[in-house]
Amino acid sequence: MTLGIRLSEGRFALLLVLPALLGIFAVVLFPLLYSLWLSFTDVNVLRTSGPVIELFGVRVPLFRWVGLQNYVTIFHDPLYWSSLWRTLYFVGAFVLEATLVGLGMALVLNERFAGRPLMRSLLLIPWSLSRVVVGLLWIGILDFEFGAFNGLLYNLHVVDGSIAFFKDGFSALNVLVSVYAWNQAPFAALLFLAGMQSISADLYSAAEVDGAGYWQRFRHLTLPALRPILFLVLVLATVNGFLMLDLIYVLTMGGPGHDTTTVSWLGFQTAFTFFKFGQGTAILYTLTALCALLTLVYHRLIVARPEPAA
Amino acid sequence: MGTISRRTFLGSAGSLGAATVLADGLGRVVHADRPVTFSGWVFKPDTVKDYVTFYNQKFGGQVKYEPLPWVQYHPTMETRALAGEVVDVMYCVHNNRQRWYENGLIRPMDDLPGVDELKKKMTPANLDSLKSKDGTKLLGLPYFTSLFTLIYNEPMLQQAGIKAPAKSWDELVEHCMKLKKDKISDTPYLPNWSHGPSETMPQFMSDCFSEGAQVFDAKNHLIVDQEPGAARAMERWQKMYKAALVNPEVLTKTSSTDVHRLFWTGRYAYHTNHSYYLKTIAGEPQNSKLAPKKARMAMYPGTGATYMWTDSYVVNARTKTLDDAWKFARFLGGNLNGDWYVQRQWCLIAGLDNPYPEMYDHPEVVQSYDRWVDLGLLREQTRKGKVISAYKEPWYAEYDTKALAIVHDIIRGGATVPKGLKQLASLQKSLA
Repeated sequence: MTLGIRLSEGRFALLLVLPALLGIFAVVLFPLLYSLWLSFTDVNVLRTSGPVIELFGVRVPLFRWVGLQNYVTIFHDPLYWSSLWRTLYFVGAFVLEATLVGLGMALVLNERFAGRPLMRSLLLIPWSLSRVVVGLLWIGILDFEFGAFNGLLYNLHVVDGSIAFFKDGFSALNVLVSVYAWNQAPFAALLFLAGMQSISADLYSAAEVDGAGYWQRFRHLTLPALRPILFLVLVLATVNGFLMLDLIYVLTMGGPGHDTTTVSWLGFQTAFTFFKFGQGTAILYTLTALCALLTLVYHRLIVARPEPAA
Repeated sequence: MGTISRRTFLGSAGSLGAATVLADGLGRVVHADRPVTFSGWVFKPDTVKDYVTFYNQKFGGQVKYEPLPWVQYHPTMETRALAGEVVDVMYCVHNNRQRWYENGLIRPMDDLPGVDELKKKMTPANLDSLKSKDGTKLLGLPYFTSLFTLIYNEPMLQQAGIKAPAKSWDELVEHCMKLKKDKISDTPYLPNWSHGPSETMPQFMSDCFSEGAQVFDAKNHLIVDQEPGAARAMERWQKMYKAALVNPEVLTKTSSTDVHRLFWTGRYAYHTNHSYYLKTIAGEPQNSKLAPKKARMAMYPGTGATYMWTDSYVVNARTKTLDDAWKFARFLGGNLNGDWYVQRQWCLIAGLDNPYPEMYDHPEVVQSYDRWVDLGLLREQTRKGKVISAYKEPWYAEYDTKALAIVHDIIRGGATVPKGLKQLASLQKSLA
């Protein structure tokens, strides 16, 4: 049976992807645009001053338009700037640590050795854990009072008292970086490993015949082949680093003082503790802008750069 | 096909109309009996479920209970209200009540039957705490009240030859110095300096009050920069932190609960925290090395005054079942048919302090408290509890969070005491 309707190939394709596009609009694009709108409004969720639209029977308040006021307010807040510099440090350290550790793990797991399949499976455990669990796990390891690591050092007579890893802000921030890298590096390793597996073994054989050592093979063969993967890892790590919130919540709550308050934590607090949703979304949109900017930089540096001549 | 007469048509139409009206009437009866929805943050949710079951069985209620995680409780309730959902009875933390009232989410209770009796039975401080900013409306019924208390580790003090707990802050510092010097405790003092809305800042206010200082004036302006007692409290905190008498990681603990659990280890001599934590510290041997009653409460040093607050049950302003919602709220936060069931159960099960003094006359409550605290002393301490009204201001949540960072800086010596206290005053001024 035919319906008697003739569709061009393009329209037929559009018809097929339409349900998915509608789904994406509903769960991704609409919240994104709506939150962008909120960043230009004075939001009080209990008192909806301003126009209201109805979408498919759902009442969507638009709140009172204040233009750039929320952005002006946050840019005048010294706490925003101190949080931003801290965030940049956090993201830089995290991206570096997660990428290097991930690459190192991938290089090891790309070699042949007994137990390699098991090691590859175990690799994914830290990444598969919920971050709340990761936070609680590391509290159990690093805690001043009952942490396993402090206990180990004490029993080995390395220290005669406990080390307070969260005592000062810089130390606490670095603990956050390392714990998050521990959680995320396995995923980077997985991506690098997949990239390494796709490099033809013949190239390595040829390089060996030409007398290239391990370092030269890595430098001139592996790394250039991994360039698209490196781009992906850097983009994902950067975005994840900027948005990281749950570990701060479990481990430090942004303290001591504001010493581990990042922009994402500040945005969360502004929206959900101070109930200033407009300013909160404005703070978080500055992160979105930074992520987009850094993605462009990575693309320029890694993907768009011409291959060196052979 | 047969035809119908005009008479039959009109008769049928009339019957149909009557049936519709009757059905609507029946619907109204069902509406009057619709369930009361009830939400609260997660604290012993199984116990709360038991209360609800008890109420539904004994009073023929149809209460539906939903616990929500503490962290997102208030934002969740607000966004649900935004979506048009009406939760008839809700928990509400003390510093959110005024906001909910001003924005029309909850209704005052003064016109509801039996409320005057409850007001008379409550301690005046708790009643003040539950009122609107202008003091004219009662916004909630008490879930519990609490205040900061001083708890000490009796065996540790005895080990150090200290015969009685400190009565003054100077004496407390002296005891801690001795305990550290004698290597009995690495960090003898455990204050509630953790991160969160009910931690460092209430502890700060408690210590200011105990030094005879005011924190806010009558117009809710912060005045700690003009109060010598506040400076004394902060200098003491700095001194104790510098002398390593305090576990430095307390500053990054994420809740009062986490802090009080440290005291379970028996490795600290003194602890200042919410009064209800004494129940688990001194009354639960399965958890705490200081139970039964090895940890004891002492009167807060100095003037003995500490910060007190009252969290509450509130009724939604848009409830369609006001009578049933009020009846249930009264069951939770007061007495229903003369029985203080829920109020009493919270005393027995969790040691939550109660704003109705007559609760402490009940033999079962007296017997229960006797297992972990000197009830007479606790009552005396409660009488010295001070409430503030600044938390009813719209700026309070932001002030409270940002002030915490300044106080942490003072503790760690990042700011001098006068400079830090001035920063606090400027912060409050900038937000007000």
